[in-house]
Amino acid sequence: MEVYAYKCRKCCHVHYPYKMICHGCGENKHDAFDLVPMTKDGKLLTFTIVHNLPPDFEVPTLAIGIVELDDGMRIMGQLKVQEPELGMKLKGKVEVVRHGDYTDYHGMVFYAA
Amino acid sequence: MRNVYAIGIGITSFTRLEFQLVEIASYPVMFALRDCGLKQVDQLYVANMGGARLNHQTALGSAVVDSCNLLPAGAATIENGPASGAAAIKEGFMAVASGMHDVVVVTGAERMREVNGLEATDFVASLTHPLAEYIYGVTLPSLAAMFTRLYMEKYGVTERHLAMVGVKNQNNALKNEFAHLQQAITLEGILDSEEAFTNNPYVAEPLRFFDCCPVSDGGACVILASEEVAKKTGRPMIRLAGVGQSTDTHAVLARKDPTDLLAVRRAAAQSMEMAGVKPKDVDVAELHDAFTILEIAESEEVGFFKKGEGHLALERGETELGGKIPINVSGGLKGRGHPVGATGVAQAYEMVYQLRGEAGERQVKDAKVGFTCNFGGFGNNVICLTFIRED
Repeated sequence: MEVYAYKCRKCCHVHYPYKMICHGCGENKHDAFDLVPMTKDGKLLTFTIVHNLPPDFEVPTLAIGIVELDDGMRIMGQLKVQEPELGMKLKGKVEVVRHGDYTDYHGMVFYAA
Repeated sequence: MRNVYAIGIGITSFTRLEFQLVEIASYPVMFALRDCGLKQVDQLYVANMGGARLNHQTALGSAVVDSCNLLPAGAATIENGPASGAAAIKEGFMAVASGMHDVVVVTGAERMREVNGLEATDFVASLTHPLAEYIYGVTLPSLAAMFTRLYMEKYGVTERHLAMVGVKNQNNALKNEFAHLQQAITLEGILDSEEAFTNNPYVAEPLRFFDCCPVSDGGACVILASEEVAKKTGRPMIRLAGVGQSTDTHAVLARKDPTDLLAVRRAAAQSMEMAGVKPKDVDVAELHDAFTILEIAESEEVGFFKKGEGHLALERGETELGGKIPINVSGGLKGRGHPVGATGVAQAYEMVYQLRGEAGERQVKDAKVGFTCNFGGFGNNVICLTFIRED
C-alpha cells in the first residue's frame, strides 16, 4: 500500500493531494499525471491531539499532524508517538487510519524515527 | 455598476430552535420585510450548508419563497460551507448592482442541533479534503489547533490571549438578546483556577472548549436594494460598498506557509479597495471567530494590525467595545453562535444595525464604516464585506 503523489508528465511538478489540472504548467489532459509513492520520512511541522473525534473512531483521543517530508512535500497523518514535539523526526507507514461503514481507509501513520 | 443598499434586516435567536429549517429561514425574512415595509421582491437567496445532511431538507429557496408569500420571485439556495451567508450576499449584491433586480432578499439559516455535537462536528468536517484530511479524523477544531500551535510558536500568542478573546466575545454576547451564550465568563474560571481544566477541557490541543464557537440553530436576513428603492424606505442609507472574495488551497497542508491566511488578506483588500476605504477607516468589525485564534489572525490579515501583533492589540484593549477598533461586539461566532449558513448574514445584520445607530447597549459610537469577514473552509474560501453609512 502506498499514498500517491501526482507528477505532471510534461513539467514534472509534483502535487499532493491530487489535482485535475497541473498547477505547474496548466496541462489539461485526462492522463497528465504519473502516480509516484510519497516519501515516508520527514519532520513534524505541527500537530494536535483531538478530543472530539468523529463517531467512526473508537479511541478517546488521537494525535494528528502535518509532516514535512524529506523531499519538501507535506502530508497529514496520524501520529503514534508518545510525546509529539515540533520538528521531531518521523518515519511513516501506510496503515488503516479509519474504519468506514463499508470500507477501511488507508493513510499515513507516523512513528518516532 | 449600480449602488446597492441594505434596507431591511431580521434575525432569530441563535440557540436550539424547535422549528423546521424552513421556518428558521423564514422568520428573519418576515422581520426584514416588516423592517423595510416591502411585501414583494424580485429574488430570494437562502444560504444553508447542512439542510440535506442534517434536516432532510433540500431546495430551501423554493420552500422559503412560498412560505413568505413572495411568489413568483426567483429563488435559489447557496451552499458555500461556513461562508454560505456572505456568498449569498455577494450573489444578491451582483443581482442588484447589475440592474437585473431591484430588491433581493438574502436569508441564511441552519438547524444543527437536531443532531448531537459530535455528529455536527463531523458534518462540518465534510468540507475538508476527503483523502488528504478527512480520513485521518480531522475536524475543524483540529485544523484550527494545528494552526494555533504554529501561531503560538511563531508570534508568541499564548493560551491566555486565546482565553481573552473568548472572555471578551462571550461577555459582549450578554449585550445581544439574540446571542446563543448568555453566560458571563472570566479568565479565572476558564484559565487560572484549579477548576479551570474541568470547566474548560481541551477539544483539540492547544484549543479548549471556550476557544470554540457553540453549535447553534438560527437564521438571519438582509434585504438588498437599488438606491431608488432604498430612498423610499426613509431609513438611514447603508450602502454595501465593497465585496471581496478569495480562495486558497482546499487542503491546509498544501499552503506554503500554513500560518498565512492568504484568502483573508486578498478578500479584505479587494473589499476595502472597492469601497474606497483603508483598514484605519473601519469603525466596527465582525470577524469570523469560529475559534479564538481566528479573531487574532484575521485582525492582522485584514490590516487592522501588523502581522504577529494582533494579540498585543488585544492586550491593550483595542478590540473591545470602546476601543480603537471594536471587533465582534455582537458576541461574534463565539458568543452569538455559529449556525453555519446564517453566520455571514448575521455579520451583515450586525453592521446594518450598528451603522444605523440602533445597537443600544453595544452601539459603537458614530460608526460609519463597518467590515465583515466570513471565513469558509479552513481559510480556503473567504468573503469580506464593507458597509458605509451615507448621510
